Amino acid sequence: MLRIILSRLLQGLLTLFVLITLTFFLVRLMPGSPYTDEKALPAHILEQLKAYVGLDKPLPVQYATYLKNLVLERDLGVLLKKEGVTVAEIIGQSFPVSALLGLLSIGIALVVGIPAGIIAAVKKNGPLDYACLAAAMTGICLPSFVIGPLLAVFAGLGLKSLNVAGWNSPADWILPAFTLGMVNAAYLARLTRGGMLDVLNQDYIRTAKAKGVPGWRIVTRHALRGGLIPAVAYVGPAFAGMISGSFVIETIFQVPGMGQHFVNATTDREYFLIQGLVLFYGFLIVGANLLSDLAQIALNPRLRAAA
Amino acid sequence: MPTTVEKGSSPWQDAWHRLSRNKAAMLGLWFLVAVVLLCFAGPLLPFVKSPTVINLDNPGAAPSAAHWFGTDQLGRDLFARVLYGGQVSLLVGIVATAVAVCIGLIYGAISGYLGGKLDDILMRVVDILFALPFLVLVILFSLVVEAPASRFTEWVITTTGWSRDKVAPITTLMPLFIAIGSIGWLTIARIVRAQVMTFKQQEFVEAARSLGLGHARILFRHILPNVVGPIIVYTTLAVPGIMLLESVLSFLGLGVRPPNSSWGILIKEGADRMETNKWLLLFPALFFSSTLFALNFLGDGLRDALDPRSSKD
Repeated sequence: MLRIILSRLLQGLLTLFVLITLTFFLVRLMPGSPYTDEKALPAHILEQLKAYVGLDKPLPVQYATYLKNLVLERDLGVLLKKEGVTVAEIIGQSFPVSALLGLLSIGIALVVGIPAGIIAAVKKNGPLDYACLAAAMTGICLPSFVIGPLLAVFAGLGLKSLNVAGWNSPADWILPAFTLGMVNAAYLARLTRGGMLDVLNQDYIRTAKAKGVPGWRIVTRHALRGGLIPAVAYVGPAFAGMISGSFVIETIFQVPGMGQHFVNATTDREYFLIQGLVLFYGFLIVGANLLSDLAQIALNPRLRAAA
Repeated sequence: MPTTVEKGSSPWQDAWHRLSRNKAAMLGLWFLVAVVLLCFAGPLLPFVKSPTVINLDNPGAAPSAAHWFGTDQLGRDLFARVLYGGQVSLLVGIVATAVAVCIGLIYGAISGYLGGKLDDILMRVVDILFALPFLVLVILFSLVVEAPASRFTEWVITTTGWSRDKVAPITTLMPLFIAIGSIGWLTIARIVRAQVMTFKQQEFVEAARSLGLGHARILFRHILPNVVGPIIVYTTLAVPGIMLLESVLSFLGLGVRPPNSSWGILIKEGADRMETNKWLLLFPALFFSSTLFALNFLGDGLRDALDPRSSKD
């Protein structure tokens, strides 16, 4: 068990290192520079600005400095266009917003998706199953930026208390979290249905039935544990999907989270902000994958035996 | 005494037979054929207007006999824009998937066939890349390859002498093809590797080896043809994902950019004006979503038809 955790941690670290390196060089290779649109700046001031943040040095030196600051001082760097603002401050401000949005939508996805998948599997080929499958397919095929505005219009018409933009009160949270949650609920429902169907066809379920275990108890006590494995395995990737989903959702509903900062940072070529945000995303994804691996081991005794 | 010869059927005929009994999948298939024909051949028809002619006297017109889907805020015919936008969306979906499949196929085949230490290393690389934030890298990568792609556009124009109008719409999409393809090959590499590993231990491969065939011939002539089924299934299910990705990128202003248009861009423009002109969102979203529906149904059907486990029934 400990060996598995250690090897996953090691792999996670390696992943983060690859991510840092890849992002660093991709960002420097992008056409243009942070100062491209500020044409008014005289050359010598530009030089000074670049020297101040170390952009005048050769790339390998910049890379080494970045790594050194990151590892030794946990310094993510500063913003290039806003004086005196650090990347850490931006992340510190926007992460709670994105985290709240992410947690709410994961909650919605779990509460909606998993029961829907279980019901669909238990009532296989019945009307409820087809309704769940159709709803899930709609959630997968309609892009979130169609669902979002549609929900916004319905909410704006029907429920005046729901706000369609901003992030000031709990009323502002509902629409973005709901939009983001539904897409993942759709995937979760399909995975749960598939996993449950596999398990419900197994011999030990037939044995339980033959022993006279009531139907709901077969599902909750015998099938659920195995049937949830595909859904749990999806949580890691879902987390990554949540991040990319938040780019769109935060743009539609004007949520001041990390996604908005990332999209703006790429157009503004804010080198350190891009690198910092990507690294932070990487951290979250590596953590989520680790948790998802551990949960799978807990649910699946065969994996535990292999550990 | 001559008897009637029992006619065998190839696995592909069996698969086609199974597929053709699946109504949802067949509906998806015919719908896709219709959409592809409409988008690529439709603009040749005389009554389809130009998607770029601006008519400021008639902006935001409702659907009518003259403009079937109405007009957008600049008076451009929405029907024509949906068809031309569809070309771009379908092209990105198909070409980017093809790039990803080519890379993944070669990588996975080599890893699975050679095995051993090299396989360990190659698969560890896949594991690591798999944990990276996919969309973020696609965004950064597509920005990086933008400059080389525009140089390539100029090079094609100067060397071939083709007009810019013909060359630019394709070559400006190249950053997307390359970015999505070079990051989306991981799953296919895993699938191909797993398949190759099971096939390489079977008798027919051993027989091929004992005949003295070379590695390349064994891999390409004897093993890979068996992997075609899973690849077709995966590809069909990957195209809608990549079309969705294109639309997300375009929505964020990072994918296809005006004056090029795609369904993603049309949907974004429609969503911006949905309170006044509903059809601007309705028609592109309808085309986009039903195409994704059809691809998903066809993919599910193909999986049932080509999955060896389901051939028992």
